[in-house]
Amino acid sequence: MLGYVARRLALLGLMLFGLLCITFAISHVVPGDPARLAAGPDATASMVETIRAEYGLDQPLSVQFWRYVRGIASGDLGRSLRTRETVGSDLLRYFPNTFELVTGAMLIAVGLGVPLGILAAVYRDTWVDHLTRVVSVSGVAIPAFWLGLMLQLLLALDWGLLPLGGRLGLMQAPPAPITRLLVVDALLRGQWATVADAFAHALLPMVTLCFPALASILRVNRAEMIETLRQDYIVNARAQGISDVRIVGRYALKNAMVPTLAMIGLRYGWMLGGTVLVETVFDWPGIGLYAVSSAVSSDFQPIMGVTLLLGLNFMLANFLVDLAYGWLDPRTREAGAA
Amino acid sequence: MGASLRLAAAVVATLTLALAATAPAFERSGDRKVLVFAGRQEVPTIDPSVKYDWSIRMAQQSLYDALVKYVGNPPQIVPWLAERWESTPDAKTWTFHLVKNARFHNGDPVTAEAVRFSFARTLKLNQGPAWMLSDFLKEDGIKVLDDSTIQFNLSQPYAPFLSFLPWWYVMNGKQVLASEQGGDLGQKWLTTNAAGSGPFKIKRWEQGVLYELEAVDNYWKGWPSKDHVGGVIYKIVREAGAQRAALLRGEADIVEGLSTDDFDQVAKMPGIVVPNFPGMTTFGIKMNTQKGPTKDPNFRKAVCYAFDYDALVKIYNGHAVLETSPFPNATRGHVAVPGIYRQDLAKAKEFLAKSASPNGGVELEYVYVQGLEEERKLGLVLIDNLQKLNITVKMVPLIWPNMVARGSKPDTSPDMMAVFTTPVSTDPDAVAYQYHKNSWGKYYGSSFYANDDVWALIDRARTTPRWEERAPLYAEIQKRIAADAPEIFGMLMNRRWAMRDHVKGFQFSPVRFTGEVDLYPLAIVAK
Repeated sequence: MLGYVARRLALLGLMLFGLLCITFAISHVVPGDPARLAAGPDATASMVETIRAEYGLDQPLSVQFWRYVRGIASGDLGRSLRTRETVGSDLLRYFPNTFELVTGAMLIAVGLGVPLGILAAVYRDTWVDHLTRVVSVSGVAIPAFWLGLMLQLLLALDWGLLPLGGRLGLMQAPPAPITRLLVVDALLRGQWATVADAFAHALLPMVTLCFPALASILRVNRAEMIETLRQDYIVNARAQGISDVRIVGRYALKNAMVPTLAMIGLRYGWMLGGTVLVETVFDWPGIGLYAVSSAVSSDFQPIMGVTLLLGLNFMLANFLVDLAYGWLDPRTREAGAA
Repeated sequence: MGASLRLAAAVVATLTLALAATAPAFERSGDRKVLVFAGRQEVPTIDPSVKYDWSIRMAQQSLYDALVKYVGNPPQIVPWLAERWESTPDAKTWTFHLVKNARFHNGDPVTAEAVRFSFARTLKLNQGPAWMLSDFLKEDGIKVLDDSTIQFNLSQPYAPFLSFLPWWYVMNGKQVLASEQGGDLGQKWLTTNAAGSGPFKIKRWEQGVLYELEAVDNYWKGWPSKDHVGGVIYKIVREAGAQRAALLRGEADIVEGLSTDDFDQVAKMPGIVVPNFPGMTTFGIKMNTQKGPTKDPNFRKAVCYAFDYDALVKIYNGHAVLETSPFPNATRGHVAVPGIYRQDLAKAKEFLAKSASPNGGVELEYVYVQGLEEERKLGLVLIDNLQKLNITVKMVPLIWPNMVARGSKPDTSPDMMAVFTTPVSTDPDAVAYQYHKNSWGKYYGSSFYANDDVWALIDRARTTPRWEERAPLYAEIQKRIAADAPEIFGMLMNRRWAMRDHVKGFQFSPVRFTGEVDLYPLAIVAK
């Protein structure tokens, strides 16, 4: 098993380096002069050169790449031309917001998707199954931004139940950072009003974001449950007179959840990188918005930083899934060794 | 994201208008009335020496003071930190006498040394507003005569000198240097902190989310109204649909950047007012004068005469006026150029016949900002208009950085490029210089206009001290540029904001950038 882990880790390192090379190359071949944009529309040639020199953009590409790789090795992701801050500190500001959004959305998706999947499988081809199908098809078909705008319109503007957007109310001060996760920090500091306000602001974006994941989890879990419920050991359990609730909850769910869990892991990694639209609609200050704002300013270092961070997340999710498979199925480890 | 998101936003817009309800708006912090401004653009830095755009400058103007200030419509330069000034007849030496009672937020007096430090810092960093003066003012040309008198000795006469000073904000040098890191002249600290003497100070700075300013109670200049705002929250709301919803729901007092139709619609809502003023932002379609069919002046004139100018005003629902010169109307020395281009198909055909493509048969590329609906519509107008000359138009939407990159070289600059430009001062030099060789490579220089005589006139006019001598030079410059037709001289779009009717004291000045509001005179008068 240790050898298997080592091989996977080495592969992860190689993939990360490949991602680094690709993002650097793409960032430097697309049209646009980041120094000119940062210097402003009226800047003279000498002003543009000042910015270029300050950010090392006047160096040959090979030198820039070497500096970048060296910087990353020492934890320095470079500086943003737009925010004038280090990319690391920017990511530290924005990533926790995205992390909270995605984690909350995933909790809702799992919390609803798994039970609904079970219900759909147990009551297959009944109205319950048909109803969950409507939910899952809608989750895949409805674009996130449209759903977000509709929820805003109905729940925020029309009924006035929830805020339109943002992370906190205008006059609500965020808690002093401990973990940088706003809700966690507010809980740790006992700022209950802030916790309530943060939840109220988070609900609509989380519901919007969770919908596609909920649909996938529901469908996968349903299919796996149906397959599992057909197995001989389940038939045997039924023949022994074990109750349906016990069969489903105790014997079938565990087996059906293995592929669902793998899918949740991958979906989580994907969601971390797919929050742009939801963050835009709800003014959620996360890395999706940060990446878009950087992209429209041709600010390459943050784009590379975000890509690396998301790539790393995704690779780690894959890595954990690989490990889980390796642990569950020894044949996978042997195939990897051969 | 763009088109479909905007479509959905439009649907929401329509529905929200039907659902709109009046709301109390503005926040309270203790006994302070806090105005909420919902803007789409971030304020990544507030360092006065480093950068400016409309949202940055709105913050800078609130946190800092300058020697003089632009107010009113038409814009006037009024004394601010300087109570008076004089210049030598050759416009080379400018002496400013400071008010005695101005104080920075930390209580330090605003002295001539602080002014010297601020100008020297901006020149040294060579960023932000440095370009306005760096050709004429060197660090050793700034002299502190006494605590309240500062003198600028320019390397050559520069008549527009005063017109740029409202954007050179004065910083507290002691505070800045105390916060210096690694010889950065306080750049890192000043990104999110202020060392100014302006009417507001920073209360909260949540980058990318909101920025809260608090009114300085004992502001040295005093306040124009007893109901002045006690603070301002600038909240970033990135979607126009959400901005409008925030206004209607009472979560915002002022919004900017709505579409033409949305402004018209919210203006009819009870409790909402929409100030509507002619601005200084010109819209033109720049033509590449260095290559392709548009290199030929006769071809360019044919295009100018074929264009339907009335369509420009219609696209903005009448909230625009046509340009009558390359210079905006509010620019000093503006003249209405006789015979400025208007649609005349006979003349268009006449000039086309004189060109290298007498029968048309060419395709022109029209590049515009992706997502700007008005520019897209203008492309459709161009297609229709130029079809009559047997010229086809290929519309190419690009994101702004790619447009700037395309327009930076004559070889890559498109045949036609839609460009909005806001001059930074009311002095004609600010516009005339856009047609100078030194503006080649900048987005507004993407026509790569070349005329040695015009360039010489521009150089002469900016170094001529007396306005009586400058005015005829600029009149001549306007006529000659128009005659060369480097662009379709379009229109001046009106500036609009939507605000709750309890917001009073709004003062428009066309020299401010789009979206920018002077927060100092604003008041909240609750019903």
